[in-house]
Amino acid sequence: MNDEDMRSILKCVRCGTCRAVCPVFDVNGWESSGSRGRMLVAHGISQGLEVDQGVLDSINTCTTCGLCEEICPSGASPVKVIENIRHQLVLQGKMTDAQKLIRADALEKGNPLGESQDRMAWLGDSRNDLPEKSDYVFFAGCLASYRYPEITKKTFDILRKFGVTVLEEEVCCGSPLLRTGSDPSELMSKNLEQIKKIGAHTVITGCAGCYTTLKNDFPEELNVLHVTEFLADRLAELDLKKLDLKVTYHDPCHLGRCNGVFDAPRQLIKAVCYLEEMKSNREKSKCCGAGGGVLKGYPELSLELSKNRLEEIPKDVDYLVTACPLCRTNLKRGNPKVDVLDVIDLLEMAME
Amino acid sequence: MQKSDLLKKLQEIVGDEHVSASAAELYCYSCDASQIRGMPDFVIRPASTEQISKIVRLANENEIPVTARGAGTGLAGGAVPVEGGIVLDMSSMNRILETDLDNLQVTIEPGIVQEKMNEALEPYGLFFPPDPGSSAMCTLGGLIANNGSGMRSVKYGTTRNYVLGLEVVLADGTVINTGSKASKSVAGYSLTDLFVGSEGTLGIITKATLRLRALPKERSVLLASFEDPELAGQAVVKVLSSGIVPSACEILDRNIIDAINTYDPHVGLPQAGAILMFEVDGTENTVREGIEMIKDACSTLATSIRAASDKKERDEIWAARRLVGAAVSRLDPLRTRVYVGEDIGVPIKELPGMLHKVREISEEFKIPIMTYGHIGDGNLHTGMCIDMLSDAEWEKLNMAADKIHRTAIGIGGTVTAEHGVGSARAPYLGLELGKALDVMILIKNALDPKGILNPGKMGV
Repeated sequence: MNDEDMRSILKCVRCGTCRAVCPVFDVNGWESSGSRGRMLVAHGISQGLEVDQGVLDSINTCTTCGLCEEICPSGASPVKVIENIRHQLVLQGKMTDAQKLIRADALEKGNPLGESQDRMAWLGDSRNDLPEKSDYVFFAGCLASYRYPEITKKTFDILRKFGVTVLEEEVCCGSPLLRTGSDPSELMSKNLEQIKKIGAHTVITGCAGCYTTLKNDFPEELNVLHVTEFLADRLAELDLKKLDLKVTYHDPCHLGRCNGVFDAPRQLIKAVCYLEEMKSNREKSKCCGAGGGVLKGYPELSLELSKNRLEEIPKDVDYLVTACPLCRTNLKRGNPKVDVLDVIDLLEMAME
Repeated sequence: MQKSDLLKKLQEIVGDEHVSASAAELYCYSCDASQIRGMPDFVIRPASTEQISKIVRLANENEIPVTARGAGTGLAGGAVPVEGGIVLDMSSMNRILETDLDNLQVTIEPGIVQEKMNEALEPYGLFFPPDPGSSAMCTLGGLIANNGSGMRSVKYGTTRNYVLGLEVVLADGTVINTGSKASKSVAGYSLTDLFVGSEGTLGIITKATLRLRALPKERSVLLASFEDPELAGQAVVKVLSSGIVPSACEILDRNIIDAINTYDPHVGLPQAGAILMFEVDGTENTVREGIEMIKDACSTLATSIRAASDKKERDEIWAARRLVGAAVSRLDPLRTRVYVGEDIGVPIKELPGMLHKVREISEEFKIPIMTYGHIGDGNLHTGMCIDMLSDAEWEKLNMAADKIHRTAIGIGGTVTAEHGVGSARAPYLGLELGKALDVMILIKNALDPKGILNPGKMGV
């Protein structure tokens, strides 16, 4: 264990403040499934605690949502500790089947979904008509490309009016590997080379996981914008009409709490309809339950987290809007009483 | 009995999924927020009194220690199984069983979190006043077993004042009910009072009926700044002797002020050698009058006095104050708050003197000691932060804590005003209680002859 991690673990005074907010602890109730417990288990590993299934479950059920870190009075950094300890365990070959699968698929197929189909199929006819050079490049991400091709196309159709292009052979950004302890550098290099080739100074993405990875974890500093940030700056040019709707908004953890992007999606939503906040929002938003490899590794737990988040939807709204395909996927799994939309869906309705 | 046989029997009682012997779980339940450690053999999350009765009976027959645990936020090792055995994690038993509005009472299971219970009571205009810094996560069972209190005890008293009756599982598995729903009862020894604050050494609390209060209509917060903590201590004596009963009276020294401002820059506390935070609650008139009287009492000693401008500022100040115990760790990236010697209580008149002594101890051992706490009832929290990897700093810390404890006892005070004895402060009970400790041991032996209930705690 490196010094920084040990220092961070030692910062935890075990006051238990995180018990009140950890969404996984809220569902499981066992001490090892909360942030304080994970910090203890990480400490235990450094002291020779044998890594069995219980240890792996403790370390790998964290969604890396970061709410514990947000409220931690003593200034510990549990998410960083968890990601680093996952990495160390993976280096020793100690990982769950889900971690192995995510890694194998991401490295072999370029996406953690195990898809072998054409990743850029969502582009349709547009692919013959792309500028080779551009200041802005749209990074679609795996989930958007394979599971939400229509919305991805819609997003790009709006963006291309501003001269935005895409990567010819985009691969996974590396987020699923990073969050689950594997080395994403091969994927990052592939994407980085293409970004350079295009000459883009800014990468735009609609996925919270891609956003934080491109922004904070790439080997070279990139200027990264979420689609909502890019469009909020160009609101006047979008020609949006008002919709007679009331919606609520789910802050993706890796977009909002981790990177402070709270206002841009709200600005867009408020430009077209009425926004009513969820019970917990912005910095204190509850996680959808999908991140950190939890959806793949612990689908039942992930579903419970989703249901708990859905309980925070205000009464009488027409839609639950979010700005991340992974959040959208898991929130839909929880069988919400209203449909879940991406911000772009809403904008498209206002453009019709 | 073999461990595997015991595990089977425990599984039969609570179901497989509610008992764990996994290495990760045992490690997590081997500590609380203190420095005390002890590895359990099993962790159980029971769901009913009946299950607990069966578990305790089985443990008693086999002389296996049983340690009850709420949220594990304790600062003295009270929930740490120092002699191994079974940890009963009570947090699944978290229901409100009855809200008796007309009688201003609520009956609860012990695993309910303080804040959650108060949130449920708020629509009825009622609340349970004891309000520790850990109210967002601590359980009522833990509060009762430690007789916890917190920031509002200067006016509202401690948890003890609100417990009307308890359901308790005794060491042999017998279930008894203590107290009465009547607000006064002198029928027999007050066994309720015996179990409150007994830290799980005499029985396992499985149900409690609590007295509630009506939520005050108004609250107001006043911040008074002083050149040093001793002057603040003098101001407290003056305020309280003038007949005002604030609903909170907290002291923060210079380092604590820095810690709060670092944790939440919005709060923006004024720079001072010490700040007193007063809260007055009641009706609009009593609050206004109380605030004026406090201003008058502090006027000759304080360098400045200001009121929180609105509810938002007041809430921010209290939220930051709640978490400051841990937030002092933020002042230096290499240091961490260690909870030892952190909970002394002294008679109000001795406060300025005790604050002076703390400063002397800090100089003697060359270790910074921050002071904060519920000064209105003589309860001082002393905060020390050390480099956790330095043996020399640990030694200094323990020596300073020892001297703080002995000094408090020497001036008629106590080693623990609200955090509990646990294992951390057990060695001082003989010094503080004298022969009264022998009576405690007699009671312990009568109720738990085999010593299975939370052994190694409270000096019994």
